[in-house]
Amino acid sequence: MGFFFHIGRYFLMLKRVFARPEKHKIYIRQLFLEIDNLGVNSVWIVLIISIFIGGIMTIQFANAMENPLYPNGLVGLGTRDTLLLEFSSTILALIMAGKVGSNITSEIGTMRVTEQIDSLEIMGVNSASYLILPKIVAVVLIFPFLYILSVFFGLLGGLITGPLVNVISAPDYIEGIQWLFHPYYVFFSIIKCLFFGFLVSSVPAYFGYYVQGGALEVGKASTKAVVNTNILILFFDLILTRLLLT
Amino acid sequence: MITVKNLYKAFDGNPVLKNISTTFEPGKTNLIIGRSGSGKTVLLKSILGLFEIDKGEIWFDNRNLVLMGEKERKILRREIGMVFQGGALFDSVSVEGNVRFPLDMFTTMSNIEKQKRVEFCLDHVNIEKIAFKLSPSEISGGMQKRVAIARAIALNPKYLFCDEPNSGLDPETATVIDQLIQALTKEFQMTTIINTHDMNSVIEIGESVLFISKGEKEWEGTKHEILNSGCQKLDDFIFANKLYTQMKKGQ
Ligand SMILES: Nc1ncnc2c1ncn2[C@@H]1O[C@H](COP(=O)(O)OP(=O)(O)OP(=O)(O)O)[C@@H](O)[C@H]1O
Ligand SMILES: [Mg+2]
Repeated sequence: MGFFFHIGRYFLMLKRVFARPEKHKIYIRQLFLEIDNLGVNSVWIVLIISIFIGGIMTIQFANAMENPLYPNGLVGLGTRDTLLLEFSSTILALIMAGKVGSNITSEIGTMRVTEQIDSLEIMGVNSASYLILPKIVAVVLIFPFLYILSVFFGLLGGLITGPLVNVISAPDYIEGIQWLFHPYYVFFSIIKCLFFGFLVSSVPAYFGYYVQGGALEVGKASTKAVVNTNILILFFDLILTRLLLT
Repeated sequence: MITVKNLYKAFDGNPVLKNISTTFEPGKTNLIIGRSGSGKTVLLKSILGLFEIDKGEIWFDNRNLVLMGEKERKILRREIGMVFQGGALFDSVSVEGNVRFPLDMFTTMSNIEKQKRVEFCLDHVNIEKIAFKLSPSEISGGMQKRVAIARAIALNPKYLFCDEPNSGLDPETATVIDQLIQALTKEFQMTTIINTHDMNSVIEIGESVLFISKGEKEWEGTKHEILNSGCQKLDDFIFANKLYTQMKKGQ
């Protein structure tokens, strides 16, 4: 089915998702469940990946800047700005699309093929809003926090690894990460995070909500959801970078 | 009481239901029978308003579904309980949570009242207290069906719909489910509609039977009349199973 068919149906779905919730108390309860399920459970993977990538980048920058003419601070600066601008927002979003996105598609898709969604509709519940809204809000809320966490632990990774493998001293590194700091980069990336959070939750939700068939189709839908979310993340990264940074 | 008048439904020009008219009475188990693909599920979902029909009228007592807006339908749906073929229990919540869900969503009951209602419903379908906290994946298929029935009756519906409630169950459990639905129908005087292609169910609880073939109503009657209906298509359907041929001879 065509590209425009999906775009149209996606926005129709969003229209139902953002309809007025029936019972606020229940939505709030669902929201906290989703924050726990989608956000808090992702903290560990973000920490681990960020520490490693921070450490690896520090080694690579140190290698590239070996020439004594370059100031030592460049290593910390390079690590910091890569984390701030691209890694902790875009790359993190790609990773989360794999983890959170496939989780959302398979959960909603399974509910579709086992008639749980029909069952909600029969009861008179707006299934799109009930199932999807808390997920979108949870992921959009949690993304900026994961971003900050990722930057912090990425920098920490560099601080541990640099001196450990003897490519840069801790004081040089610490001086570097404070050098020529643009607070705007953080603002810019948080804006990106909000967009990516929306994509990582709503696109996989779409693929799950409209799945037809059985368990096999749910699996296929998960894969499609992750691939499409990734492409959209990169596309929006390009647009937002062009709009906000140049 | 639910009344269907001259109902037509087609998918992309393919007629699936053709001129169906019938009445489903309260306090009775009304069965819709027919071959696989004859249009049973489409009929059920059309009556529920999940499919938009092309022509005809669907009356829930004195309210015509066809003329209702989204809002009125929502109100009507709160009077409807539905048991899906696979049970369709919410697998993220416990047995108890499933039955409580409609209460949370649509009532202003206190927690104690809800708990009472949950226990009342689960008790009515013979689910033991020890199973209340289990998740749907931890109970057997027959139990899942019973929990689905308990959830369907939680809001005290006037109308109960069951799409093949006993498919995939052993004959004994299937009979238990059938009898349970019948007993609940009597107790709460619900208008109950059951889709099935199981002749055992027909013999067991077929107080009113509607036979459809290729989307057309071919016969209507009770289980007592069914073996001598004089309807060739119905005979072909029933006597596909040799046992019933013997039953007819021995009757
Ligand atoms: N959503 C749909 N779109 C198009 N055609 C459909 C749709 N749903 C059902 N049909 C068609 O309508 C016909 C009747 O299907 P239905 O599901 O009502 O059969 P059934 O009697 O319930 O069979 P079974 O006993 O196997 O459940 C079938 O030919 C089917 O292909
Ligand atoms: Mg069917």
